[in-house]
Amino acid sequence: MYFCHFMQLTDNQRLALSSSVCPSRSNPTSLSLSLSLSQPIKKPSSILCSRVFMAHLFPEEVLEHVFSFIGSDRDRNAISLVCKSWYEIERWCRRRVFVGNCYAVSPAAVVRRFPEVRSVELKGKPHFADFNLVPEGWGGYVSPWIAAMARAYPWLEEIRLKRMVVTDDNLELIARSFKNFKVLVLSFCEGFSTGGLAAVAANCRNLRELDLRESEVEDMGGHWLSHFPDSYTSLVSLNISCLGSEVSFSALERLVGRCPNLRSLRLNRTVPLDRLANLLRRAPQLAELGTGVYSAELRSDDFSNLVGALAGCRELRSLSGFWDVVPAYLPAVYPLCSGLTSLNLSYATIQSSELTKLISQCHRLQRLLVLDYIEDSGLEALAASCKDLRELRVFPSEPFNREPNVSLTEQGLVSVSEGCPKLQSVLYFCRQMSNAALVTIARNRPNMTRFRLCIIEPRCPDYLTLEPLDTGFGAIVQQCKDLKRLSLSGLLTDRVFEYIGTYAKKLEMLSVAFAGDSDLGLHHVLSGCDSLRKLEIRDCPFGDKALLANAAKLETMRSLWMSSCSVSFGACKLLGQKMPRLNVEVIDEEGHPDSRPESCPVEKLYIYRTVAGPRFDMPDFVWTMDEDSALRPS
Amino acid sequence: MGRASAKDYSPSSSSSSSSPSSVDCSKHKNRTGASLSFASSMCQFSGCNSGCSSSTRGGRTRRGDLNTDLRLGLSIVSPDAQRDNWIDPSASKQREQRQDWPPIKSLLRTTLAVAGKADTSVSNVHNNNGDRNASLFVKVYMEGIPIGRKLDLLALHDYDDLISTLAHMFTTPIAYPNGDRADHAESLHVLTYEDREGDWMMAGDVPWEMFMTTVKRLKITRSDRC
Repeated sequence: MYFCHFMQLTDNQRLALSSSVCPSRSNPTSLSLSLSLSQPIKKPSSILCSRVFMAHLFPEEVLEHVFSFIGSDRDRNAISLVCKSWYEIERWCRRRVFVGNCYAVSPAAVVRRFPEVRSVELKGKPHFADFNLVPEGWGGYVSPWIAAMARAYPWLEEIRLKRMVVTDDNLELIARSFKNFKVLVLSFCEGFSTGGLAAVAANCRNLRELDLRESEVEDMGGHWLSHFPDSYTSLVSLNISCLGSEVSFSALERLVGRCPNLRSLRLNRTVPLDRLANLLRRAPQLAELGTGVYSAELRSDDFSNLVGALAGCRELRSLSGFWDVVPAYLPAVYPLCSGLTSLNLSYATIQSSELTKLISQCHRLQRLLVLDYIEDSGLEALAASCKDLRELRVFPSEPFNREPNVSLTEQGLVSVSEGCPKLQSVLYFCRQMSNAALVTIARNRPNMTRFRLCIIEPRCPDYLTLEPLDTGFGAIVQQCKDLKRLSLSGLLTDRVFEYIGTYAKKLEMLSVAFAGDSDLGLHHVLSGCDSLRKLEIRDCPFGDKALLANAAKLETMRSLWMSSCSVSFGACKLLGQKMPRLNVEVIDEEGHPDSRPESCPVEKLYIYRTVAGPRFDMPDFVWTMDEDSALRPS
Repeated sequence: MGRASAKDYSPSSSSSSSSPSSVDCSKHKNRTGASLSFASSMCQFSGCNSGCSSSTRGGRTRRGDLNTDLRLGLSIVSPDAQRDNWIDPSASKQREQRQDWPPIKSLLRTTLAVAGKADTSVSNVHNNNGDRNASLFVKVYMEGIPIGRKLDLLALHDYDDLISTLAHMFTTPIAYPNGDRADHAESLHVLTYEDREGDWMMAGDVPWEMFMTTVKRLKITRSDRC
C-alpha cells in the first residue's frame, strides 16, 4: 500500500517534469524537495502552500471553481504540486495542455493524467529544423498523439501543432473523431496534402480556425475548399498562405460570403489581385488580410473597384501578402494605414521610397516585418512616425550575396531604438555592426525582451574597430533585464558568454552560431543562465568538459541542440548513461558514430529531458545513448 | 583562427568525392582543429584519421591519408581564399551551407529565390510558364517507406549527382537508363518521376535541364514492378 502510494507520487512528479506540462526545477524523486525548490520563483504556489490546511475545508467544487481562474500553465503546474488532493482536483479540471516536446512525455501519460482536455498544443522537431539543420525523416510524428486523443478526448476542440509530421490519415482521424472540433493550427508541419484538408473541411462543422502558417502541404489541387458544406458558416480565421496551387476561387468566394464571423483571411500567392475586390466586398468585417499576388494588369475601373473594396474594410488592423507587389497599386491601401497595427511586407520586393511612403502613414503600427529594401532611411522614417512599434523584423533580400545590395546598416536599428520607446522584440539581418551601436541600442531600449541579430557573414567583427562584438552583446544582456530570447552573431569570444551567464538571468532561449573559443563559453551559459530552457548551438568549439560539468542543468531545460561542435561520441555515451532522464540523441547521416573513435566529435547532438524514455521511431541516422547503447547492434 | 572553419568549404570536399563517409570523417577533423592551435590540431587530425580509416564500414572505401594531408594544407590558406570558397557555387559544401545559413525560413527563402533570382535559367523557365510557385525542392518517396524526403534539385549538377545522392539517402543502388556505371546492372531499384502533367516517367529520359523544369516528385521503385 505504502509502496503504491510512493509510486504514484513519483509518477506525478515525473509528469510534472515533462516539458512544459511543468516547467520546473523539481527533483522527480522527492516531492518535498521539488516543492522547496520551486517555491522561491513561484509566488502563487508559496501563497497557496501556506493556506493548504485551510483549503482542505473547501469542498472540491469550490477549489475547482477557483482553479478555473488560473490560466497559465506554470501556475496550474504549481497548484498540482501543493498536495495530493489539489493534484487530483487540478488534473480533472485541466482543459488545456501544452507539450513543448512531443518526446518528453508519452501520449498515454498525458491522457491518463488529464482526462478532460479540450485543447492540445504540441511541438515536434528542434527549432533549427526551420533552417534545414535537422535531416529529413528525423521524426516528430503526430500519429501516436492523434490516436490516443481520438480515443480519450471525444470533445477535443483545439489542436495546435508545430514542426510535426502530420499525415492525411491523421487529419482524417481528427475530422472523424472530435464532435465539436474548432481549431486546427499547423505551423511548420509537413507530410499531409490538400486531401487531408478536404476531410477536415467536409466533417468539422464547427471549425472556427484553420491556419496552415508555413506548413509544407502537398498539393492535390484547389478543390479541397469546396468540401466545406454549404451549411457551414462558422469560419473565423483561414490562413492558406503557404499553399502552392491555385485554390478554387468560386469555392473561396462562396465560403467567405457565408461566414459572417470571418475576421482573418490570409490568401496564397495564386489569388489574383483583380479578384481581391470581389472577395473583400463579401467580408467587410475582416480584421486581418493576407493578399495574394499584388500585381496584375488592372484596368482603371478594376483599380478603383479595389480601392473601394479595401476602403470598405474599416476594421482591418493587419495586412500581409503583397507577393510581386507593383508599387503603383499600393496607394489602394493608403486609406487603411491609419488603422493598421501589423504589417508584413517580407514578401514585398519594392524599394525604400515606396516602403517609406506606406509605413510613414501607419501611425499605430505595432509590428512590422520587412525586407532590407527599407534601408536605413526608411527605418529612420519608421522611427519618426510609428511611436507604438513593439516588434521589428528586417530580412535580407539577397542573403547569399557577400556584397550589400542595399544601404542597410546598424544605423537603421539604432534609429528605431531611439524613436520607438515601446520596441521590445527585434530580428535584424544586416551586414555590419559595431559595439558602439549595440551599446546605444541597449541603453535606448532596456525594455527589450527578444533580441535576435544576424550579421550575415559569420564571425564578422565590429567593422569600426575590428574587435569582437562581446561588449556590444554584453551591453544588451546587462541593460535588458527582462531579455527572454537572444540570438548571437558576428565575431564573439568566450567573454560574451561570461556576460550572458552573469547578467541574462531571465533568458529562456539562446541561439549561437560560429562563436566562442573554448568550453568555457558554454560553461558560462549553462552555469549562469538560471531560466534557460532552450539552447541551440552550431559551429562552435564547445565540447565535452562544459557539457559533462553541467549535466544536471540539462534536466532543468527543455532541450539542447549542438551541431558541428566539439562534443565527442564518448561524452554523449557517458551523458546518456549517467542521466537516465535525458534522451541523448546523436544524429549522423554518414553512419554509426561507433565506427569512429570515441574521441571523434559527433555531427549533431540533440539532448532533451523526458519521462517517456528513449523514443521508438528513430530513423537509421539517429542513435540514443542510454545504459545499453553500447550493447545495441549498430 | 577566427575563420578556421571556413576550410570546411574548401573545394577538396566537393562532389568529386566518391565516398560520403570520407567527407564526414574529414569534416570532423576540421572542426576539432578549429579550437586548437595549428600544431596541436596536426596531432588531433592524424590521430583521428588513423582511427577513422581503420574503421572502414560496409565495404565503403575511405579516402586515404594523402588526401587528409592535402586538406591540412588547404586549411591554412589565406582568409581571402577561404572567403572565396564560402561563396564559390562550385563547392558542394557551399551549397550545403546555403541551405542552413543565414537562418531564413523556407517560405521566405523560396519567395526570394523566385523573386530575386530571375536570371537563373530554371526560374526563368518557370516564370515563362507562368508558374510562380516553382519550388526548388521536390519530395522523394521510396516504395515501402511512408514518409517522403525533401531534395533540393538546384543543389545537384546532373543525373549522376541525383542518383548518387539518392542512393546514399536511401542506402540502395539505383539504376537509370543512361547510367554507365557497371554496378547499376545488379541494382533492384529504378528512379521514376511525376511530371507537371501528372504522368510517371523514368528518370533520365530527357535532358537534365528539361527534367528540372518538369519534375514534380520522385519515386524510387522496384525495377521488377516497372
